[in-house]
Amino acid sequence: MRPSARNTRNRDTRSAALGIGALAILGGAAILMQRRTQPKPRPKPRRKLRRSAAIMGASMLVDSAMEHFRGGFHNKAMLAAPVLAAASTLGATARAPHMLPVHATSVAVGAAGLGFHGYNIAKRPGGFNWDNLFYAAPIGAPGGLAVTGLLALASDAHTARHGRMLAGFTALATLAETAEVALLHFRGAWHNPAMYLPVTIPPIAAALLLEQALHPNPKTRGAARGAQRLMAAMGVVGTGFHIYGVSRQMGGWHNWRQNAFDGPPVSAPSSFIALALSGKAALDLMEGAP
Amino acid sequence: MSHAHRPRAIDGQAPDVFSRDDTVPMRQFADTDEVDFAIVGTGCGGGVLAAKLAEAGFSVVAFDAGAFWRPLSDFASDEREQEKLYWLDPRISDGADPLEFGSNNSGRSVGGSSVHFQMVALRFRPEWFAARSRLGYAIDWPVDWREMWRYYDEVERACAISGPLTYPWGPDRGRYPYRAHEVNAAGQVLARGAEALGVDWAPTPLATVSAPRGKSPPCVYRGMCKIGCSTNAKQSVLVTYIPRALDAGAEIRDLAMVTRIATDRQGRATGVEYHRDGQSRFQKARNVVCAGYSIETPRLLLNSANARQPTGLANSSDTVGRYLMVHLNDAIWSVMDDEIRWYKGPPSMACCEHWNYIDDHPDKDFDGGYAFMSQGPLPTDYARTLVTNSGVFGHELRRKMALYNRMAGLKMVGETMPCADNRVTLAEETDAFGVPRAHVTYAHDDNDRRMRRHARAFMAQMLEAAGGRDLLETSSTAHLMGGCRMGADPETSVTDSDGRTWDVPNLWVCDGSLMPTGGGVNPSMTIMANAARIADRIKTLCASGTSERAHG
Repeated sequence: MRPSARNTRNRDTRSAALGIGALAILGGAAILMQRRTQPKPRPKPRRKLRRSAAIMGASMLVDSAMEHFRGGFHNKAMLAAPVLAAASTLGATARAPHMLPVHATSVAVGAAGLGFHGYNIAKRPGGFNWDNLFYAAPIGAPGGLAVTGLLALASDAHTARHGRMLAGFTALATLAETAEVALLHFRGAWHNPAMYLPVTIPPIAAALLLEQALHPNPKTRGAARGAQRLMAAMGVVGTGFHIYGVSRQMGGWHNWRQNAFDGPPVSAPSSFIALALSGKAALDLMEGAP
Repeated sequence: MSHAHRPRAIDGQAPDVFSRDDTVPMRQFADTDEVDFAIVGTGCGGGVLAAKLAEAGFSVVAFDAGAFWRPLSDFASDEREQEKLYWLDPRISDGADPLEFGSNNSGRSVGGSSVHFQMVALRFRPEWFAARSRLGYAIDWPVDWREMWRYYDEVERACAISGPLTYPWGPDRGRYPYRAHEVNAAGQVLARGAEALGVDWAPTPLATVSAPRGKSPPCVYRGMCKIGCSTNAKQSVLVTYIPRALDAGAEIRDLAMVTRIATDRQGRATGVEYHRDGQSRFQKARNVVCAGYSIETPRLLLNSANARQPTGLANSSDTVGRYLMVHLNDAIWSVMDDEIRWYKGPPSMACCEHWNYIDDHPDKDFDGGYAFMSQGPLPTDYARTLVTNSGVFGHELRRKMALYNRMAGLKMVGETMPCADNRVTLAEETDAFGVPRAHVTYAHDDNDRRMRRHARAFMAQMLEAAGGRDLLETSSTAHLMGGCRMGADPETSVTDSDGRTWDVPNLWVCDGSLMPTGGGVNPSMTIMANAARIADRIKTLCASGTSERAHG
């Protein structure tokens, strides 16, 4: 084929096709395995929730540490986010006792962070306009820390009613995360068609989960579970896309010291894995699993 | 080798602008092949036209006096080195207000001045296309604004302009292909000032991508845009339309200086005489298009005089070279309390078109309009501004330059009136090719002076409202428009609305020299939109078999 002089005519369809193919294989395998492993005992919801909190916490730790470091920690309060994300992650991973105050602080600091970020947006010229929503402190990000704390606290859940509450909460957290992704992928002008995936799959997963929370229905629970698995697979593939995205910055990974900050956040897509685990834990609880 | 002294687009290969040293295949034509179009110039006019005509199946050779750069390996972060992008051949400049030529009104590269433009991608206000009938000054364009706006859409998509979601002025313009960039601190000074004064402001629509686009990585805000982007984030004609032209089978002849358009006994153009690689050559062509911008296009037409047209080709109306316009480019600079580091990012990230869209205001004592933008001059550029405007030197210059990181500035792009006496003629002195140098005569009129006074006062007020102190005013001009204007009347214009000269049916003009008025915005998008429109007109004329129609 004659080499082309021009820039690519279309969006980055080749990488998108590759990624969507990977997602189909990975997500398909995850859903098929779910059927096959049905008779085997599942991991306990408690373990799933702890894992969920740990993954969400690790994602928050990396993201807030990098972004606040980039901001030079010019406000000392910016240290709180990575410190608490680290504490909650460790607490959830190590199954340390008496962690309630730590996780509760994470929830409180995450909620307070929403105020800080809101203030950062509002104080810029133009206030709450698109440009500031794109480039000022990310409006929803501190919510991730609060979700980490809440997931860790929820690991004591053990009744079907708890399961319904957790399903509702996870569905809402998934929708909030989707909104943040939509904002940032819109900022990126959807330059890769695969950028539409995380605003398509999660709302479906959230809707199925919300349905279970409001009207528990064993017949459609399998679909809800499949959607969670697909969303988890999307988190894996999304991480791959973000690694690829960094490589598309000027200088690629050779210039990681700048591009890891300026490119798409590599740690971000894994939060969908955490939410999927939490969703599955909720469904387990509703099914009366041990 | 940083300077390209020998042509690079040779032997069926052209530089791959997205690589450090690769080439891409290029179709080539013999001088004896009568090509459909010989286009002189490859910038916002010629580059766009070459791509679109080649894509329509015409055989096209596009000439440029400048080099064919590969930005990734040829562009240095050095203001002096990058002067290789400007047209610095001497020109004779006189009149009451002689123009200075160089960085901000000329280019000499494949891709033209878009290789070093500041990427400001603004549109004309709709009313300006009918300035005489709707606003009462200057002259109407022979084109309806809605048609031009459709072509703005087209070229903005082709250049993946990064712009705001809502633009405060003028009719709705749809969504820019990419989102606006984060406004840098220099731009936020404008924003704060505008909010304090209660006028609108906007992130400037820019021709540099805010997210990956194929082989173009997103802008990394190095701030060297004005001396040539070395990452290819900038969507210049060199990386957008020129590769398209190559793919479609056009030939680009770099370092090829066209000196004369030849004509036959009937007065029709037969091709172009040009110099390349030490040789004098002649390319046969069915049509010739001048796209050398407001100085070189008139110069070429005037230098192509023949027995039938002794005052210059297409000059029966004595309009070639006349109605040359510039933009007033006065600026206000101030010291800020905060560190600004204005060199970060594209130089003009915030803009204000307030006075472009106001007609009846007790303060407005001038015709036309002006926009102004935040500034981020590189150090040498800024030092030169200081020295030439205030004469500071030695310790005082050092003290002023030490404030570089705390400076902010606002600079206007102000419309000047088309005036027949502001013109390009031929000097007696000749250049290395024996072509008479351009002689440019320019004088501002009272309207220019009133607008300049108004803009300086308003920009000063805004800078002070943003917290600026120790204000400094500087004067300058930028951009060129007119010189071979199009129009509806063969008596007062060089070409019709299609860019075809009234006198020579197969001779066309397609660049900024066509512009009948200058407008109060940077001209590149208007030149590109007009070129895209002319390309479609040529396709239509050829399809209907009327391209050969003699007229005038």
